[in-house]
Amino acid sequence: MNLDPFLLWIENTALSRWLVESPSLLAFPTVLILHAIGMGFAAGIAVAFDLRVLGVAPNVPFAAMRRLFTVLWAGFWLNAASGLLLLWAYPTKALTNPVFHLKLVLIAVGMVLVARMSRDVLRSADREVGPTAAQTASARLRRLAILSLVCWAGAVTAGRLLAYTYHRLTQGEIF
Amino acid sequence: MDLHALQVSLVKGIYAHSPVADLMHTRWGWPIAESLHFIGLCLLVGCVGTFDLRLLGLGRTAPIAAVHRLIPFGILGFVINATSGLMFLLTEPDQYIYNPSFHFKLLFLMIGGLNAGTFYLTSYRQIFGPDASSDAPLHAKVIAAISLCSWICVIVGGRLLTFFRPGVCDGVQRALLLTCAP
Repeated sequence: MNLDPFLLWIENTALSRWLVESPSLLAFPTVLILHAIGMGFAAGIAVAFDLRVLGVAPNVPFAAMRRLFTVLWAGFWLNAASGLLLLWAYPTKALTNPVFHLKLVLIAVGMVLVARMSRDVLRSADREVGPTAAQTASARLRRLAILSLVCWAGAVTAGRLLAYTYHRLTQGEIF
Repeated sequence: MDLHALQVSLVKGIYAHSPVADLMHTRWGWPIAESLHFIGLCLLVGCVGTFDLRLLGLGRTAPIAAVHRLIPFGILGFVINATSGLMFLLTEPDQYIYNPSFHFKLLFLMIGGLNAGTFYLTSYRQIFGPDASSDAPLHAKVIAAISLCSWICVIVGGRLLTFFRPGVCDGVQRALLLTCAP
């Protein structure tokens, strides 16, 4: 399937042109900044949660992390939105690069892990109420936490390498 | 010594003696250092940010001292970023030392650092002592809010670096710091 006509259409929309060509700091630079801040909170809190599961800060009850997951998801949605804008600005650059596909897969696996692991620990925290409730994580949960750390390190690295690995920037320029 | 001359001599000195420029100019040197810089960012914001949010009242059932156990990993993130950041600076000194966005970033790095120091000098005993309550005192909350804001500003300054690349100076610079290469 040839995506080029679709990518060309995106690149010619007013929004895409504005993102790429506007000299305003409120255009592309602001989207990039929001994407980095959202990354810090989404991937960062996921990492902090993984560390807690792996036994760092063992006296933090999982039930106390409920609102932290809300902040994590806010960071995720901020990045889904800012990421879509970055994609809208340079669709050819991203979609023709396999590293971008890898990044999306790693983020998807990372967020599925966050959703499942947080649901599991909050459920067991609801069942056992008391000072010792859900203080240690099961071996299975620990393995998932390690997988999650690998996913986030990989997603961040893949994202950074996008600037170095693309072979087509726009429909107009072929490398 | 005036600041402009200091900036110029720093750039010249680094270019003449940089220990890492050859490594950073290899094909994967710069991209790997950048990836580490972003991983360090996540560790720092994730761990320090979680502690700041707890001081501000998020997840009160977790003892503050228990959440503080995450801080060494935030410091690890900071060390990764100070190291990789220094490698960028020691490879392309003019791109940072004359860059107003880098000056902004350094300013908030200093505010963040002094703020963290203030926390351990003022709030530490009250929060970790035998009379510690689950609600942090007001001064600790102010420090937590400043911490969150200053790390976000550090990210803003870092992300804007490429949009404020310094050019060559035309005319006399009157600002406190040089923002172009003489």
